[in-house]
Amino acid sequence: MTKLFLIGLKDLKLAFRDRAALILMLLAPFLLTLGLGFVTGRFSGGSGGIGDIPVVIVNLDKDQLGDALVDLFNSDDLSGLVTVTEADDPEAARRSIDEDQAAAAVIVPAGFTQSVIPSAEQFTGTSVEAGPLQIEVYANPSRPTGAGIVKSIVDEFASRVEEGRLTSMTAITQLLMSGRLAPQDAGSAGQAMGERLAESPEAGLGIALSTNTASGETNDFDVLAYMAPGMALMFLMFTTSYGGRSLLAERSQGTLPRLLVSPTSTTQVMGGKVLGIFFTGAAQLFILIGASTLFFQLKWGDPLGVIALVLAAVFAATGWGMLITAIARTPAQVSNLGSAVMLIFGIMGGSFIQLEALPEAVQWFSKITPNAWGLDGFTTLALGNSLAQLGRPLLALTAMGAVLFTVAVIVFNRKGITQK
Amino acid sequence: MPPILEVHDLVKKYGEFTAVKGISFDIQEGEIFSLLGPNGAGKTTTISMLSTLYEPTGGDAAIGGHSVIKDPMAVRNLIGVVPQELALYEDLTARENLVFWGQMYNLNGSRLKSRVDEILEQIGLADKAKDRVKTYSGGMKRRVNIGVGLLHKPRLLFMDEPTVGIDPQSRRAILDTVKDLNRQGMTVLYTTHYMEEAQELSDRVGIIDHGELIALGTQKELTRQVGETETLVLHIAENDDPKALARSLEGVEGVLEATTTDHEVAVITPEAEDVLAAVVGKANERGIKIRSIDIREPNLEAVFLHLTGRALRD
Amino acid sequence: MKKIFAIAWKDAIIRFASKAELLYFVILPVVFTFLLAGGTPSGDEDNRIRLLVSDQARSELSAQIIAQLSASTAVRPEVQPLDEAQAQFDERRASVLLVIPADFSLQSLQEGAASLDLRMQPNDLNGSIAQRAVQTAIRKVSSAVNAANQAVNEAEAARPFASDAERQAYFDRSLELATRLQTEAPERVAVVQGSTPDQVEYDPAANSFAGQLITWVFIPLFGISALFAYERNEGTLRRLLTTPTRRSTYLLGVIGGQVTVALAQMLILVGFGILVMKLNWGRDPAALAVILVAAALAAGAIGTTMGTFIKTEGQASGLSIMAGMVMALMGGCWYPLELFPQAVQSAVRVLPTTWAMQGMLDLVLRGGGLAEVLPEAGVLLGFAAVFFTVGVLRFRYE
Repeated sequence: MTKLFLIGLKDLKLAFRDRAALILMLLAPFLLTLGLGFVTGRFSGGSGGIGDIPVVIVNLDKDQLGDALVDLFNSDDLSGLVTVTEADDPEAARRSIDEDQAAAAVIVPAGFTQSVIPSAEQFTGTSVEAGPLQIEVYANPSRPTGAGIVKSIVDEFASRVEEGRLTSMTAITQLLMSGRLAPQDAGSAGQAMGERLAESPEAGLGIALSTNTASGETNDFDVLAYMAPGMALMFLMFTTSYGGRSLLAERSQGTLPRLLVSPTSTTQVMGGKVLGIFFTGAAQLFILIGASTLFFQLKWGDPLGVIALVLAAVFAATGWGMLITAIARTPAQVSNLGSAVMLIFGIMGGSFIQLEALPEAVQWFSKITPNAWGLDGFTTLALGNSLAQLGRPLLALTAMGAVLFTVAVIVFNRKGITQK
Repeated sequence: MPPILEVHDLVKKYGEFTAVKGISFDIQEGEIFSLLGPNGAGKTTTISMLSTLYEPTGGDAAIGGHSVIKDPMAVRNLIGVVPQELALYEDLTARENLVFWGQMYNLNGSRLKSRVDEILEQIGLADKAKDRVKTYSGGMKRRVNIGVGLLHKPRLLFMDEPTVGIDPQSRRAILDTVKDLNRQGMTVLYTTHYMEEAQELSDRVGIIDHGELIALGTQKELTRQVGETETLVLHIAENDDPKALARSLEGVEGVLEATTTDHEVAVITPEAEDVLAAVVGKANERGIKIRSIDIREPNLEAVFLHLTGRALRD
Repeated sequence: MKKIFAIAWKDAIIRFASKAELLYFVILPVVFTFLLAGGTPSGDEDNRIRLLVSDQARSELSAQIIAQLSASTAVRPEVQPLDEAQAQFDERRASVLLVIPADFSLQSLQEGAASLDLRMQPNDLNGSIAQRAVQTAIRKVSSAVNAANQAVNEAEAARPFASDAERQAYFDRSLELATRLQTEAPERVAVVQGSTPDQVEYDPAANSFAGQLITWVFIPLFGISALFAYERNEGTLRRLLTTPTRRSTYLLGVIGGQVTVALAQMLILVGFGILVMKLNWGRDPAALAVILVAAALAAGAIGTTMGTFIKTEGQASGLSIMAGMVMALMGGCWYPLELFPQAVQSAVRVLPTTWAMQGMLDLVLRGGGLAEVLPEAGVLLGFAAVFFTVGVLRFRYE
């Protein structure tokens, strides 16, 4: 048993002395997490990662509604979200978008207010003749998110305008029809009602929308709690295949036969090698977890749960490493195959994009990756759950590891790695 | 006729460490010149400077009249290099390797093709030319490795310890190749730490140690330096002290010098047989067990021993 | 010139001697682009966010909500029984789940007691988009009711109703009118995608495809550094430098060869994009070629400089994968640059990937042509020149 540990520790030491391996084991996941932290705005304080979206507004309407839209964009509520520039020339504004100066241009056409607010004559007829005028949102295609937000602000504004119009028109029309209002007074009544509506705080929607995030507690979820384990798990696959490579390398260097002729049993040698991979993987994950806690103030959640999950994930990943090693013939093949599997598992296991965005088949496939289960578990923990809620991922990872080990051992035996 | 290679006070420093401490020698067209010295003496560094791979820290060398510093391109056209380690693309076939390297030596067209065919014939791999080098045996790879250095018919061929770590048969073949080439008129600069090779091949030998050229000349000239002496080498038991024996031999009649290595005592004497009895007697006196005794005729080994007090193969 | 070809050809043979190379050459890039670009479906597919809806009420009002959601541009409602929907949500296979409670009806709305329950995954961008969409649907549905209520109030203020029945009838007529007005309401906002001569629609697939293309061009080209490490270890570099071959000739040969291989790879990927992903990339082949060649040269030159620092093949391949991924991420190849803080957006201009991606976006999203990509191509060629020079200067055997 001690020999087994000695071999394992020797491999752990060797792995951490190999600077080339450290690049992918520690540096790459750390830097990528850092980069993702930037993308998601984790380090810029804002939530959602986006702020100060540059917008150009051209108000050709210069009437009630156009001015209201400009005020809305300049309001305190939106001050952190958008940075507004007002312009007079719609063509120049569009050009500035084409040159990627801003995310979108909002152009309110002249006469927009007139086209929306019903004139007195419209009440007398039954048909509604809507003005053809539209607010133009000229969107920058290379800034889809910013442009999307600008569009949603304008949409919201337009729907409020529409709501006001709807309310006044319904009320006035009905008053006229029921004879409560004389047609000649319709105009002034509409005006008065419009002012009343504008002054009253926004009418309740009538339907309450309660929103819950999955944690059931807060909306305060750290994006990095998804990104950091994603990257760590991806490069964990590198570590385990690296370990497998060392097994084949020991064979070609002659140290494996030498170990086998020493009074050490095959089981001890192989067990020790596997343990070495396991140690290295666990050390890698713990270092990355420690570093992200230290540098990014990332909270990983229940420490017991984290430890259990790390061990289970490393176990499953080691199983993959062993299987790859069993299939490959040379150390170079292991590292090629290993890197490929690392990247494929990375993408299919949700390290890059969340699983749900992927096709159904891929989501199904992701079940064979330690990445997906590990991520599932780490997300669960980051949401404030504890070890007790980790049943599914822990079970899946352990079962995966066990199956892979069995298959690897069968393949090894068939190929007789230990004999050669 | 001017020498093909002239080396003047060549120096190579790595920071504080001086690998080559100002060596000078010439090589005449048509000769085999050996640089003999132990590992780490500066042989490879010297050859690397001569083949324009390293820039000298001081001094200069000229090959065919071209400075290795000022006109490396002209130098490279004149030299062929057979590096110590294999320098081949193992994923390419022998022919592909030769064609590629020929192109690097500015050969092309029908001349390239005919040279490649000639070389394949010469190294005896014409029928295996289409196999990848990685499928070859060690000896075959060595032959290709040498063949590459001959493609452009260089005027001066550098061979850097081409026999290190190979089996006796392949070694024999390489030595014969070098002699053949020389017979065809090729000038060769050969480095080695095997005394026998230098002795067998060279017209002239330079002995190099700790970056200095400590002796230079024909084998006759060099062995004359140690006089018409012979060397008696005593191999003694592991737990005995060779130094004690050497000390006790000083002053014995006929013993010129006694030097020691781990378990050996080398006795330099004008006539080995004359001192043999006295030497064995001294050993017995001190209770030192002699395992075996060699008598060596004057050779380069003895020269090295004489000059440095150490054996070549330390 | 012949030497350059000889070197390039030799490198190609060596590189593809290992079948694993094909993995990196085509298979991985294709898998990645297919999944990442395919994960964001292109214009003609339904790329709205899937919104699970569990309708417990099955009332007129809940039907209206679902109808409004169906009309949304942002979400695609998918009605499922509660337990199944909840299970999917719990396994994080869906970002959002809208539960319509059993008591959700016109009546509860009038009483002000109607409510909906929206469950979102934490910090999911899709979740907040879906939330907006649900709010819009609620607003649309309730605004007609609100308008009718308002009309009743106004009428009551002017002249009280004689009976509850009369009030109810007034309400019903108002609701009918409001609903009609609402459906007849014109679209008040027009969205125009930034200038593209042939009105290329914003296509998220094109965006991420371009990003993947850049990523997979840069990673193998950074791998040139591994080629140097290989030649160093095999001893062939040593030998090469004793042949009458200039350092610059050698480096040009290596870079030229690998860039050619990379171009072949891109050709395959672009072909894949056009044929399988139906991307409209054949519009301006010259401009596409210019930006891709410039990007490949820059990446190749950087790989060369990396090669002068790196000792072993293992280091080289690790470093090139890492550098490639980090640069791709920071250069906006995976996520649009606009998501980055302003300072970072400026800082990443030092990366070649940023310029390569900008060039691609000019081409595929902004509908630019050769003239538009020339500035980016110029910067990339600048990168190539600088790093090639550094590489030649630093490149020596010692």
